[in-house]
Formats: sequence, structure tokens, C-alpha cells
Amino acid sequence: MGAEIPFDVANIPGPETGEVVAPKVIGSYISSAKRPLLVVGSEILRDEFFVELAIELGKKGIPIAATGHSIKGFVEKGYCENVQYYNLHDLTNCLRDPNWAGLDGKGNYDFVIFFGITYYYASQMLSCIKNFATDPLVRAVSIDRYYHPNARMGFANITPRQEEEYKAMLNRVVGSIKRR
Amino acid sequence: MDEIKKGDLFSIAGLENVKISIGEIVEEEGGKDWEPMGPHPMPRIATLRDWDFKLLNRYKPFYAPLCDMCCLCTYGKCDLTGNKKGACGIRMDAQHGRIVLLACLVGCSAHCGHGRHLLHDMIKKFGRDVPIDFGPEVDVEAPLTRLICGIKPRTIGDFEQVFDYIEEQLVQLADALHTGQEGSYMDFESKALHMGMLDSLSKEAADIIQIACYGMPTSHEGGGPNVPLVDVGIGTIDTDKPVVLVIGHNVPPAADIGDYLTDNDLEDNVELAGICCTSIDTTRVYKKAKIASALGRQLRVIRAGIADVVVIDEQCIRADIVELCQRTHSPVIATNDKAMHGLVDRTDDDPDAIVADLVNERVPGVIILDPEQVGEVAVKTALQMDKKRRKLRFILSDDEFKQYVNECTQCGNCTLACPNGMRIGEAMASAASGDIKPLADMFDLCVGCGRCEQVCKKQMPIVDVITKAAYPQLREEKGRMRIGRGPIWDSEIREVGAPIVLGTIPGVIAPIGCGNYPQGTKDAWLIVKEFAERNYIVTLTGCMAIDAALWKDEDGKTLYEQHHGRFDGGGVLNIGSCVSNAHIHDAAIKIASIFAGRKLRGNYEEIADYILSRVGACGVAWGAMSQKAASIATGFNRLGIPAVVGPHSTKYRRAFLGRADVQDDWKIIDASDGSELYFEPGPQHLLVACETVEEALPMIAKLCFRPSDTDRGRSIKLTHYIDLSQKYLNTYPTDWHLFVRSATDLPIAKKTELLKILEDKHEWKIDWKTKRILEGPIRGYDPSFNPTNLKRLVRERK
Repeated sequence: MGAEIPFDVANIPGPETGEVVAPKVIGSYISSAKRPLLVVGSEILRDEFFVELAIELGKKGIPIAATGHSIKGFVEKGYCENVQYYNLHDLTNCLRDPNWAGLDGKGNYDFVIFFGITYYYASQMLSCIKNFATDPLVRAVSIDRYYHPNARMGFANITPRQEEEYKAMLNRVVGSIKRR
Repeated sequence: MDEIKKGDLFSIAGLENVKISIGEIVEEEGGKDWEPMGPHPMPRIATLRDWDFKLLNRYKPFYAPLCDMCCLCTYGKCDLTGNKKGACGIRMDAQHGRIVLLACLVGCSAHCGHGRHLLHDMIKKFGRDVPIDFGPEVDVEAPLTRLICGIKPRTIGDFEQVFDYIEEQLVQLADALHTGQEGSYMDFESKALHMGMLDSLSKEAADIIQIACYGMPTSHEGGGPNVPLVDVGIGTIDTDKPVVLVIGHNVPPAADIGDYLTDNDLEDNVELAGICCTSIDTTRVYKKAKIASALGRQLRVIRAGIADVVVIDEQCIRADIVELCQRTHSPVIATNDKAMHGLVDRTDDDPDAIVADLVNERVPGVIILDPEQVGEVAVKTALQMDKKRRKLRFILSDDEFKQYVNECTQCGNCTLACPNGMRIGEAMASAASGDIKPLADMFDLCVGCGRCEQVCKKQMPIVDVITKAAYPQLREEKGRMRIGRGPIWDSEIREVGAPIVLGTIPGVIAPIGCGNYPQGTKDAWLIVKEFAERNYIVTLTGCMAIDAALWKDEDGKTLYEQHHGRFDGGGVLNIGSCVSNAHIHDAAIKIASIFAGRKLRGNYEEIADYILSRVGACGVAWGAMSQKAASIATGFNRLGIPAVVGPHSTKYRRAFLGRADVQDDWKIIDASDGSELYFEPGPQHLLVACETVEEALPMIAKLCFRPSDTDRGRSIKLTHYIDLSQKYLNTYPTDWHLFVRSATDLPIAKKTELLKILEDKHEWKIDWKTKRILEGPIRGYDPSFNPTNLKRLVRERK
């Protein structure tokens, strides 16, 4: 694992760029979080697998902010326990505020997992978190099929031909989350 | 002696052969008595800073850097990651406020430069005294000019002082960008808001000048809601005729082409078509003009080779236009000194000699800076090039298409380069095995930049391959739209002012701007359709007005054919080109002045406060691309109008986001008694992006809430907000309860169900016998509530 080209090839932000890591590294990183938040976007609706995977993470006790129109997928699956619609711009704005009460009223999050959000929108919000959610530090990772230089950690770009491999990687992320 | 008026000509004994024209005289424009001067005529950078800070404290600037460095001076490059300071002391947030101001400067300069250029040409052609007369239904002819400058323009010459003011402010604002000047992101944003206001003023001036000089539709016969329809779409261009294709935003050259065709009885022999705003404005002056496409199709229209000559003016022209046109043997005529593209200036040459050089392809194009000369050269060139080009083929052959799709190695480079991340390789593979639909479907999803071709290892003309796959649909791309109608009539404002302010017309939705859509043009159509069918007023300008016209219902009708063109509930109005969207600002301002009787003159802050608190309007720039779009949105924002933008717009780096959960951000004054109270977050944001159109639709409805809504109006707005959320998000909105002040605010059809939710989920106290809310809302509904954010308005009313 090492350096990777951003999914949008010109999307090179500056000196600090994210690492490409193995699924289990992300899993253990998530495991270390005190208050993680899963942020999902509309791309999870392209395959039921992704909605189900998000629900699986939700069932592990990680709250879900459903951005874009991804909330549809959860409603259709009848999963409404741990998930709430949020506009991604609005959510990211809250994430940079240490005093934000969070989805459950118990305070802001120390760790966010981006999943299934339109690449360039996700990249900009990750940029905001990287640059402005710093005191206290909010760590952000991506489990998308794209390399996101603005996330602290994530995967390399994954081609459509590697779709099954990607799904297996996601399963390994979920499987390696031990703390919940 | 009679008083000498501006524009008078007179003789002096002994100097009979000398004519003296009176230009500027010391007199208040528009007379002294039309309205008392307000507190802020011709505001300078700091004049409206207090208003800006009111906005910025509620809608705090949000930054999402596209680049983490500053590369502007030789101290650097500086790494600002994590909001660090650079060598000059600037932090990341201020640096991005600075970049936003820079973007707004570029955008505003484009509109101001365009307007000044237009004024210069029009004065040269028609003189300074062309009257501003918008007909019997429009007395408030220039609301932004009255509001900001404190003058009432009577002739186009009066706009010289308007541009003098804008240009002076532009220089001061540009100065603030220099290293070692401004250091506060809040002040950079105040300056950006000032720039946005200047942008809207520039647009109004530009459109009024062209309306006045070219007799574009106003409220004279055939104008307003009654403007005719025009053909839109690549398929509407008759390529059996010579085709002149105009691209850009400055209409004089195109108008003169139309005049030449009319004067020489060639209207039925030559097609005059356009791309972008020039095309919209051309249809306002020349009946036979057609609109080939909006910005997003520019590359493909040129590549399709329909143009026998391409005439460019300014803005939104591809930088590689000459190179592209050489491929299709389409000579280029550049007509504006801001976009000369390395061509030779032939302004003073013999037209026939220029035509000969173009037709014989001795030069790829020429510059002609006198619009009147362009008409003759363009038409003569098109007539001759048509004969030469007739045998040429521009669309790929079946064999070429097969060869290319088979050659694709699916390396993925095109996907990495594509702004929309289109998986082109997959579609190529599909086409190679006989199914071209995925490739054809990409025609509309593509934003038309051509970055895919730059990185293709096989050097494939990917844009052409997609165009070939979509060619049957492309030939059938035939829409209809109303020509740009220009100003909203005062009489229309009198009819709808109350319903808009009280909320029974749930909002004015303004889809505007470019074609950088996340999922193609159909979303533009869907946005218009949803709101028009719900009795909102939908006022379109620019590329979104064009793209929404490409789609039809089952009966083959476009939205412009289905809906009336009045500024009234359910209307779908094409206001005009980008500069025409000043009339959308104007409509909001006129609601304050005509309906509410607020004074306009030099009174920006009070009118913006009125609009923010009472006029349920929301801009939508779903495909915002350029710096002009940044300055346009910022101008809307300073006037108190929120905007929803598409996901690409997060690359503008800044948003204005309200925090519904921070109670102290939502305090407002009741001007009737000076009391301060908490209110619901309406509108919650001033500038926000949505990821998908499904998310945008309820967001747009939400941003139409205003504290002044009556209970009936709030009930209608809530109905649409909830209904759109259920339709597109499959769920109730999470925050609908914030907008409920009493049970009468609830949609009647859902009242019981919603009261139950308020009781069960939000723990509100309900009296079920009377179905009244006893406890729970942020505030109760008070029909006499008179909201304002300005303390001085309380004193004025006591």
C-alpha cells in the first residue's frame, strides 16, 4: 500500500494526503473511536448490498447520518433505529463545531466514516473536516471505492471489474470492528 | 432663459455650426421628487457591513478548501492545512474568503464589463437618449438601480454613472485581495456580498440597456406572459441551410446578423442559431433565431459540424474554440476584445476580402470588433461555406464507431479525468458487444468538457463516440421555450405580492445558471415541473431555462407549453439570459415597494431585510459552473434570497449555512413593539449544496419558509415540504415540527396524524378536544407579527 492517484485525477489538495490502507486497518481504527459516525450518501442505493452493509454497521452501534437521498434505502429495508436524514453540507458544518450535540444529543463525534457519497462532494466535505474540525480532532476515513486524498485513510481506486473484491473488503471492515 | 435639460442641443449666435450636447448636468436623475433619498445611496465597501454581519452571524461562512495551499505571493507556497497561518499571517479560512471574493470579482467583472461594453456600443449606435420605457405595466423600471444608486434612469446614458460607481467599487474590492490587506474571513465575506450586489446591479443595467435599444419584450404588446415560443435543441437546426452559430453573452453582433438577414431577405434561407445566453437574447430580437443548446452541449454542437460559421462574443466560450472549429472547417469570427483567441483584427478591412480569406481557409478566423460589420461577413461566409462543407461528414461512421469501441482497453483514465466520474470504459465494452444504450445514455450525463479525450491512451475521440451512439436521440432533441420576457410587470406584482408574502403562493423558485449537472439535464426539467405543478412561481434564466425546455410530457409538450407565463402561481417564465436574472431580484424588490410600500431609493438594507423575512424566494443553480454563478448567488444572498446548488458547487469552497440547533442564531425583532423573540429557522441556509435532485427538491421547498408566513401560507408550505420529502426521501422531514407555530399551521389533510407525531415523538402538549397545541412550538403564531432584523425600523414605526 502507498500513494495513489485521486479518483478525480486533478484532485490533489496539498501536503497532507490520506493513506491507502487495508480493510482491517480501517476496521481497527474505527474500533478505537469513542464516538464514531457513519455518513452515507446516495451511491449506496446502487446495490442492496451497500444498504445492508450500512445497516450492519448501524447494528454494531454506529449511528448513521443518511445524506443525499440515501435515507430511502433504509426506509425501504425497514431500518429506522439508528439512522437519520441529514444534508451533508449541514452535517459537515455541525461536525466542525465541538459544541454540536450530535444526532442523539450526546455530543459531537470523534470519528466519521464516509461511504457512498458522490466523489467530489465527499472530497470537499472531507477537506472541511481535515482543515477545520481540528480542535478537538475529528478523524475521517472513507470506505468508498475511490481514493480520497482528503480522508485520513481509505482504499485505492477500485474498478467496476473489482466490484466483488470491493464488497469483500467492506465485509472485512465490518468484520474487524471489535469494540461494538 | 429656459432650463437646459440633459441631452438638449442648442445654438449660440456666431457659433451656428457648432453643436454642443449637454451630457452631465447637476441634477438628481429622475427628478428630485420621486422618492426621498434613503440612508445608503451608492454604498461603499463598509456601508452595508452591519447588514452583512447580521447575515454572516446567522448563516456562518463554511469553507471546504479545494487546495490547502496559498500560491499567490513569493513568500510561499504556504501550507495552510488545518487552518494554519501562512507566511503573511493569513489563515486558511481568511484565505478561502479571499478566494471566494476573487471568484466573485471575476464573475462581477464579467457582468460589469459586458454591461459597459454594451452601453458603449449602444451609445455609439443609438446615442445616449434612448429612453427607458418598459410600457404601461412597468413603472418601477430599474429596482436595483433605484435601490443601490438612488437614481431613476430615464435614458441609457444615465447608466454611465451606474457603471462608474460599480467600476470604482470593483477596483476597491480587488485592492482588498492584495497580500497584506484584509485578514478576516468575515470581512472578506462582507466584501464578497458587496461584490455580489454589484454583480446584480451590473446585470440589471446590462439587460435594461439591451431591452431599451433592441426593443426586447417588456409590457408592450406581445410581451410579458404573451411572448412567443422558440425552438430549442440540436435537432431543430435545419442543416440543409447555411448555419450561423453564435456563442456567448453579448448580443449586438448576433442582432446585427439578424438585421442583415432581414434586410437582405435571407431569413428563410439561413439559420441563425446560438449557444448559451447570446442565443436567448438573439431570440428576443430576431424572430427566426433558434437555440441550439445551453453551455453543456457546446463542444458537441461544434463537433457535430452544424455551423458554417461560428461567431463568438464573450463569456462561456471554450478556450479551444478556434482549434475545434478548424476540425469542422467552421470559420470563427471573434467580436469582442475580451475573447480574441489569437486571431488577427480585421475590423477595418473590406468585408468581401475577409469573407474570401475565411472561405478559402487562409485563416481559421478573424476579429471584427464593430458589431455592424459582423452581420455581413458572417452571413456571406456562411452562404459560401455551406456549399463547401456540404460534402463533409462530422459524425463518425458505423465502422469508425465499431473500431473505437473495440479498441478501448478500459484503462479507466477517462473515468479518472471525468468530472462526473462516468464509467466510460464499461459503456464502451457494452457497445463493443452490441448494446450501445449505456454509451448513448452518457450523452445527457456528460457535461461536455472533453477531459476524457485528453487522457485517452488510444487518443480516441470519446466525445464523438458518445455522440455517435446518441445520434438518433440527438436528431430528435427538439424542445420549445418562451423567449426571454425581461421584467416582471408591476401589475403582476400587485396581484401576487400579498399571496407571496402571506405564503399562499408557496414560493418563487428561480432555476438559473450553467450546465454542470451531476446527472444530466432532466433534473433541471424535474425541478421546474415539481414546483410549477405545486403552484410555485418558477422564473428561469440562462442555461437552466434552455435545458428544462429539452424534455416533454407524454403529450409531447414542454413545461413552457404546459404552464402559463404569468408571474403567478403555476407559471413557468423564461426571464431571459444570465443578465436578465436581475429581474428576479427586481421582482422581490418590487414586492417590498409596490405591495408593501417600502421606499427603495438608497435603501438596500431595509429592502433586503424585508425580503429575507417575508418573500419566500429560493434560487436554484443546479449546474452552477463559472465565477459568474458564484457572484450571482452571492448577490442573491445579500438581498436575503437563499440558493440551493448542485454538488459540483461545493467546489466553490464556501457555503452560508444556518444552524437550526443553535437557538441564539434565530432571534428576530417584532417591529410593531420592538420585542425580540426566537423564531423557526426560515430560511435555514443562504447557500447550500444537495447531493442529488431527490434531496434538493424538499430542500428548495424548505428554504421558502419565512417568519411572516400566515397560518394558511405556512400550512401550504409545510404540505409541500412534507410531501416532497415523502415522495423523494421516502420519509417525513426530520425538522418539519420546527416550522409549526400552532395547529392552524398544519396541513389540513394530515392534521390529526401530525398532531399525534408532535405529541408522541416531540412531547408537545395537545388539547385533543379542540385540536389545539398547548405547548411545544418555538413561538406561537401571531398574525400581527412584523418581523425585522433592523432595530432602527422599530423606532421608525413608533
